[in-house]
Amino acid sequence: MNKEIMKFPFYLIVHPFNGYWDLKYEMNKRINLIISFLVIFLMVLTNILRTQYSGFLVNIYNPNHMNSFLEILYVIVPLLFWCIANWSLTTLMDGEGKFVEIFTSTCFALIPLILLNFPWIWISNLISMEETAFYYFTNSFALIWFLFLLFIGNMTVHQFTPLKSITIMILTVIAMGFMAFLCLLFFSLIQQIIAFISAIYQEIVIRY
Amino acid sequence: MGKTERSFKLLVASIVIFTGISMGAFHVQANGQAPSYNYSYWGDSISAPDAYKPTTLVNGEDLGIGPFIEPSDIHVTEDQMIYVVDSGNNRVVMLNHRFQLIDTVASFDNNGKKDQLSNPQGIFVTKEKQIFIADTGNNRIVQLDQNYQLVTIIEQPSSDLLKDDFVFQPLRVVVDNAGRVYTMAEGVFDGFMEFNVNGEFNTFIGANRVQVDPIELLWKRLSTQAQRSQMVMFIPTEFTNLDINEEGFIYATNGDNSSDKIKKLNARGTDILRREGYFDPIGDIRYPIDIGPSRLIDIDVSDSEMYSVLDSKRGRIFTYNNDGHLMYVFGGIGNRRGLFHTPVAIERVSEQFLVLDKALGEITVFKATNYGHMINQAVRSYYEGDEESAYHFFKEVIEMNANLEFAYAGIGKALLRQGDYKGAMENFKKSLDQKNYSKAFLLYRKEVLKDYFPTILTTILVAVIGLFVWRFYRKLIKRRKEITIE
Repeated sequence: MNKEIMKFPFYLIVHPFNGYWDLKYEMNKRINLIISFLVIFLMVLTNILRTQYSGFLVNIYNPNHMNSFLEILYVIVPLLFWCIANWSLTTLMDGEGKFVEIFTSTCFALIPLILLNFPWIWISNLISMEETAFYYFTNSFALIWFLFLLFIGNMTVHQFTPLKSITIMILTVIAMGFMAFLCLLFFSLIQQIIAFISAIYQEIVIRY
Repeated sequence: MGKTERSFKLLVASIVIFTGISMGAFHVQANGQAPSYNYSYWGDSISAPDAYKPTTLVNGEDLGIGPFIEPSDIHVTEDQMIYVVDSGNNRVVMLNHRFQLIDTVASFDNNGKKDQLSNPQGIFVTKEKQIFIADTGNNRIVQLDQNYQLVTIIEQPSSDLLKDDFVFQPLRVVVDNAGRVYTMAEGVFDGFMEFNVNGEFNTFIGANRVQVDPIELLWKRLSTQAQRSQMVMFIPTEFTNLDINEEGFIYATNGDNSSDKIKKLNARGTDILRREGYFDPIGDIRYPIDIGPSRLIDIDVSDSEMYSVLDSKRGRIFTYNNDGHLMYVFGGIGNRRGLFHTPVAIERVSEQFLVLDKALGEITVFKATNYGHMINQAVRSYYEGDEESAYHFFKEVIEMNANLEFAYAGIGKALLRQGDYKGAMENFKKSLDQKNYSKAFLLYRKEVLKDYFPTILTTILVAVIGLFVWRFYRKLIKRRKEITIE
């Protein structure tokens, strides 16, 4: 049983149709969630190591701008935005997926990004300028694989037709933009309010 | 791929880092009164040691010829004679390399008649000591020999290329080794005017490209013919100055706001400037929006294709090497010594810089510090291909300023030549030079693989044989077990 669970994510990424079906209907929700969090953790780890240890020829980074905490947010924020936007849209558009299912299916789609990019962190230190083409090829391939899995996952989880899921995915991205805008608006307003209150406080303190 | 990823990250970061930064409080370091600075690969201005320090001031009163009135150009010959165009006094003043007065020229003998200069703006002196003066007020270029006797006068040209109402007002003039005269004239948008040896107008050379404002273009598209004729035409920007090097390439500055503010023109007028530095040579790359980018108004090219440009907005002088790496910056606007009011012209005399101030009517003389001298020497030896001495000079430079990134590439190249591939890699990494890093890395990898090749191959061979033996052994055991079970 345990071995089967270990094997399941790998099975899913190469057999997405069956894999996602099993994810939705067969597998234990709790175990799925645990695997999902593990995937997020590994994704964050890969990204941090990637910015720090990738070869000089593929990665010129400014150590002053490298921030591991931000790297965490770069993974988690878009992921949550995606899940929330997708969930909000699909509930309105007859999607069958629950939030947990959307979340787990998205996380499982991230696996190729980890599997392909992680080894390249180390290999990229051993390549020359001409060979970086392989690095970029693998990167792009991983990205396409990820998008494909995301698409299949969305289709299976919500039981959509392919066309509808593509529409939903595009709409989700737009919704993410809206959310980002609202967040910015909200926080800048909050900031204004805080600035206002602190100004009043200062004035009172200085006067009395 | 990398770029999109970065911009994506930036987007997310801007969503994430909503607090903390209030807009408008952008920290622009370049605007401060930092004595000297250079730009890092990341575009930050980082303070650097002074490359040049002001030593003396030269003005007309001290020379005993009355104050300079709005002088506009200086020129220095190879034997370090200094020619100052004292426009307001309609004369040319000659100084020797110790800044002592040699002579002044205000008039010359024109076919038996005494002829005067009128508001001259530019000067050029050839190796043969032929003096070319852009005599703007008289709409002509005057050529004098070394005894200040008139040789020829280039008058207003007539050509099909010129409009009928064209008035020839030369501002700056240079002469190449073949004796062709190039002049920058007022109101000419087609480039520099080229005159042949006989003083006949040949052609225009090196016109700037027209820069079109998209919004204005839209308005133009929407308006009628009558309205359009009332609007400003899209015309190429004028050049602001020019200089010529020994090989006959014209270095020019223009008032554009693009990456080709500085141009190196070949004989056909094509821009062949190398822009291999971390940034295009455009003067300041960071500036407050309300003041805007550097306005380059003079250029001086010296040996080893080093060139310096003068920014009239902030009074700074930027010097670049032949690849377009920013070597050093000095000068500024202000009232202290070494700062200017309205600088108009720069000229380099071996290890000295002369900066002419139009409003104050004085020349500030800058002398290279040890640091400046070392950079100059390093760039020179590097240009000449003498990597060995370039290595030593660059080492010295880095001792004084470890932040000068392009210097590491110079060290790296020398190490690469010496066969120290690992050292070369480290230095190229410091100068963020991926191309050369890759070269050094390939050689290093070959070297390492050569050393370890037998070991690696033996290990693989042993592993493969071991695997086979192991499989065979397991099969044997299995078979035996099966036999015993039966």
